[in-house]
Amino acid sequence: MKKENLINEKRPHESGIKHVSGKAFYIDDISEPAGTLHGAIGWSKKAHAIIKKINLNEVIKSEGVIAVVTSKDIKGRNDVGPVYDGDPIFPKKAEYYGQPLFAVAAKTTELARKAVLKVKISYKSLKPITTIEAALKKKSFVLKEKIIKKGEAFKAINNSAHQLQGNFTTGSQEHFALEGQTAFVIPQEDNDFKVFSSTQHPSETQQIIAKMLNQKNNTITVETRRIGGGFGGKETQSFIFAAICTLLAKKTKQPVKLKMDRDDDIIITGKRHDFYSEYTVGFDELGVIKGLKLKLASRCGSSPDLSGAINERALLHIDNAYYLENIIVENYLCKTNTASNTAFRGFGGNQGMMAIENIIDNIANSLKKDPAEIRRRNFYQKKKKNITHYNMKVEDNVIQEIFDKILKSSNYKSRKLGIKKFNQKNKYIKKGIAITPVKFGISFTTWHLNQAGALVHIYCDDGSVNVNTGAIEMGQGTYTKIAQLVANELGLPFSKIKVSATRTDKVPNTSASAASSTTDLNGAAALNAISKIKINLAEYVKRKYKIKDSEAIYKNEIVKFKGKTFKFNSLIKEAYLNRVSLSSSGFYATPKIHFDKKNFTGRPFLYFAYGAAVSEVMIDTLTGENKIAQADILHDAGKAINPAIELGQIEGGFVQGAGWLTMEEVKWKLNGQLTTHSPSTYKIPAVSDMPEKFNVEIFKKGKNIENVINKSKTTGEPPLMNAMSVFFAIKNAIASIANYNFTPELNAPATPERILMSINKLKRKI
Amino acid sequence: MTSNFISFIHRDRIVEIKNPDPNETLLNYIRTKLKKTGTKEGCAEGGCGACTVVLGELKNNDINYKAINSCITLLPTLEGKQLILIEDLISKDGGLHPVQEAMVKCHGSQCGFCTPGFVMALFSMFKKYSNFKDDIIKDSIAGNLCRCTGYKPIIKAAKSLQNQNKIDHFSKNLKNIIKLLKKIDNKSIEIYKNEKKYFAPRYVQELKKIIKKNINTNFLSGGTDLSLNITKERKDINSIVYMNSISELNYIKNNNKYIEIGASTPLVDLEHYIQKYYPDFTKILKRYGSPQIRNVGTVAGNIATASPIGDCLPLLLSLNAQVILQDAKKTKVLFLDSFFINYRKTKINKGQFIHSIRIPLFEKNTFKAYKVSKRFDDDISSICAAFNLEIINNKIESVRIAYGGMAETPKRAIFCEKVLLKSSINEDIVNKAKEALEKDFKPISDMRASGLYRMEVAKNLLEKCCVEIKEKKTISIYV
Repeated sequence: MKKENLINEKRPHESGIKHVSGKAFYIDDISEPAGTLHGAIGWSKKAHAIIKKINLNEVIKSEGVIAVVTSKDIKGRNDVGPVYDGDPIFPKKAEYYGQPLFAVAAKTTELARKAVLKVKISYKSLKPITTIEAALKKKSFVLKEKIIKKGEAFKAINNSAHQLQGNFTTGSQEHFALEGQTAFVIPQEDNDFKVFSSTQHPSETQQIIAKMLNQKNNTITVETRRIGGGFGGKETQSFIFAAICTLLAKKTKQPVKLKMDRDDDIIITGKRHDFYSEYTVGFDELGVIKGLKLKLASRCGSSPDLSGAINERALLHIDNAYYLENIIVENYLCKTNTASNTAFRGFGGNQGMMAIENIIDNIANSLKKDPAEIRRRNFYQKKKKNITHYNMKVEDNVIQEIFDKILKSSNYKSRKLGIKKFNQKNKYIKKGIAITPVKFGISFTTWHLNQAGALVHIYCDDGSVNVNTGAIEMGQGTYTKIAQLVANELGLPFSKIKVSATRTDKVPNTSASAASSTTDLNGAAALNAISKIKINLAEYVKRKYKIKDSEAIYKNEIVKFKGKTFKFNSLIKEAYLNRVSLSSSGFYATPKIHFDKKNFTGRPFLYFAYGAAVSEVMIDTLTGENKIAQADILHDAGKAINPAIELGQIEGGFVQGAGWLTMEEVKWKLNGQLTTHSPSTYKIPAVSDMPEKFNVEIFKKGKNIENVINKSKTTGEPPLMNAMSVFFAIKNAIASIANYNFTPELNAPATPERILMSINKLKRKI
Repeated sequence: MTSNFISFIHRDRIVEIKNPDPNETLLNYIRTKLKKTGTKEGCAEGGCGACTVVLGELKNNDINYKAINSCITLLPTLEGKQLILIEDLISKDGGLHPVQEAMVKCHGSQCGFCTPGFVMALFSMFKKYSNFKDDIIKDSIAGNLCRCTGYKPIIKAAKSLQNQNKIDHFSKNLKNIIKLLKKIDNKSIEIYKNEKKYFAPRYVQELKKIIKKNINTNFLSGGTDLSLNITKERKDINSIVYMNSISELNYIKNNNKYIEIGASTPLVDLEHYIQKYYPDFTKILKRYGSPQIRNVGTVAGNIATASPIGDCLPLLLSLNAQVILQDAKKTKVLFLDSFFINYRKTKINKGQFIHSIRIPLFEKNTFKAYKVSKRFDDDISSICAAFNLEIINNKIESVRIAYGGMAETPKRAIFCEKVLLKSSINEDIVNKAKEALEKDFKPISDMRASGLYRMEVAKNLLEKCCVEIKEKKTISIYV
């Protein structure tokens, strides 16, 4: 028999076969009990208005409609805000175009969706604020501004040999998970509700629904087997749909399914924060940053949602991989009359990193030096220059190694020369190349979220294992990786491990599957549960067979104690017959971390994930069309649990990041109406957008120095930022038009239009 | 024979549905009536491919396997076809299809939601081609969006099929299915359901009678426009006449003066046919939409919707195409030049239908076409431009230029043409012609592009065209 590699080897996704044969169930695929109704949401057509009257007569009369719910049906908390209030389920005052105002349950989805269009709403329109600029001007903020300082920024800037000033924006981004927002609620006895939700956060869904109904948390059970993509868009944005669906189920006393239409989904939910920054930087002749003053403003939308933590992460990543001795950053959290922006892979970190990468790129351009060299010079070092602006010592720094390695293996230098020659010869098509580093902090910056629970059962007498944790499978492969860890720990074949649907009545008080921490936390909790079962077994074996040592080796379905060997199944059966518990909960809390938010100091992260990428692009200077000709990525996954899954995250993250920085453009009219809300108007990368040559490798020497499961490092969010290289490669291609004598002005996303406008500006300078 | 029930083949059996709702989508039928949930709804507008299924159609005693978007396909159009769903790919003994197996092995799924759609798109490719070259693979999945993988493992899976045995349970069962398809290939459909009417005639004569009686009916071809009224606007379409059931109108012929394309000919057939006459036409058609769209959409449909951003239209305008209109009695030939009245309004009168389109063959001319959009695959043009020039001894003897995305209808650039006519191509003339475009167009700003950008790119595409002609090369990042 061929030996099965349980960890550190590529293995297919645990649901792979089900995915390809249409047998993997998502919320909308769960079979519906007789009498199941279908919901639809009616929403505001004004971005800022008092709702004077909602006339539902025609809606109620509409074919197939069974019930309508409004704010009057909410007995408890009329809000789904996760940290702060501000996200009413049905508000009295509309704060954005698309804000839900009522919902219906009807016999079919089609009838429900038809019915909501028949509403007559009278509004008293108020003036909307729809841009960061307007919000800054009017001091319209969702939370108080924050200023962080280290060293003497002004002095350092003034004393520097060179100074640069400028501003920069990065765009918003729609999550566009292929499975839209969906919930399915089945009423139970005692007014309890069983809630199936496509969410990254079942526990908070449970709490929010309980509060809305004025019921105890133990009356609500939330279950999620898998979701069809999350990317942060279902960390909090799923709540309102689960809440409304429950409200409809409560009113009709029937099961209700609420599946959002794609356009409604995009219009109702928040997206990535777009950021605006203004900077003044001082640096020396070598391009080393001496002092930095930064103003960082983000569009938070109509409510705080997670904007506090997102902006905090932006502040924690304005260094990226660079040592910044003297900085001052002002951070403004702008309130606008647009959907409340939310978590999105990177969670503000990437926006902060883009701000500093743009500054470094501009420093290099102004000194007429290779940006790769300037980046390198500013890196954190190992022995000195290793304290971040929030006073955390960077202990696991491998950026230099990764950067140098990919610089070499991608032939960056010779290709750069080749590109210069190509650009001299070609008038219309230009090439550009850039390398960017990634250093991304891992842990929730909200301290208490860094905990996880698990529940593990071993069944008599076949020895099969059921594992349950708080982890949500959203494509990142966490179920596969947890099953691998468990199989390895118990010495069982993979086929004997079942990771079952995540449920709030099995593992309580879970954190969102977010912050790249899902497997780190939940995998460790599962291993903790197993260690407890192993203790039960060892105690039994010691007692029964008079063995002194508890140590045992679990391998190939054999359990070896010193002096006694069992077949795994036999041991399980024997233990059961001798009344030994074969089930245990497990728990994990991330060690070492602490952070003083007020003084912005401490150790918010257990470790850092690193990566670097070289991208080469082509642009058409007549149209602004652009293409990634080649991307080379080297990314640190520590000791990867499943290299195939990590590679998938690294590749997919890169393409998603490239989408954010190039073609994905969220647009609003000045009145706050979103104009990009379907695949025909909002373009995410398609197959031709993948780099033509795409060389992706995991850093072979990678090993987490912290005590993380398998010494691995997560690959959830960090690989997205490898795509920063694409943006700067485009800038580099544009710069060639003026023979690299000027710095192009370019904001993200670098759409064909933005590229062409940047070219025009540059041409005027020549 | 006219019936009020439709027949199609599913899982080796003839399935009949009596009086189906003409507005029900195939996706809805699959998920709620057949209770097969492997096919997913991602967008309900044919823009993401999650709902892709494959239809088997009889063609020359063989079956043509077409990937389509079931979310915008209306159920009655299933008449006479074989329906293949993701669940049907698994063989009777439970084994995975080679395409499914390749996707698992190559880690082609992450969250898995888009996966059935990809598998079906690749299945269609697997059945259609023998050599899975990069461009064939990319084209085959250009209409399928994946937000997780970045596409690399999916391409790898597709490539790995090259070495697979091409015999699957569909090829083993081919004769049987052909027999069944022939058995149901015999009727016209007329459905009257509540207030809704649906007609699928088989002959032009029948069509004429139907239109005469139902003067306000809506023509349905690929449904890429009409169906959105149902799935997005939530409207009822009460009268529908389906054109693609008329095989008489599914043809391309050529009399050395012009190519004539029947109204129900799918775009995918034209893109193959026209390659040797106008390679740029094929180039644009490939980017017109996904294979799922091109498999069912028609040139006639594109003309009839008269969208300012319809990608065929500037090309046809510059080639001086003609539209053949018919009604119960007469045939009328109109130049496309005078066909578009204003935004989405054409000269088609009530009671008339598009019979065919004629594209003249300019053997001596240079024809060039360009499409600019945010995304290469399956995107709507910000600007589309077509140039048809006759150049003799470096002198432009005749010129027709048309743009899409620059006005409320696709439109000729008359002022620009005047500057170029009888001139030689030089920098001075090109600059003047570029300036003249400002007289021709006042483009608007929308979510795709600003008016400013559109105007500048319109000018630059003219320059690109002229430089390419002069220097005898292609200037593009997409080569």
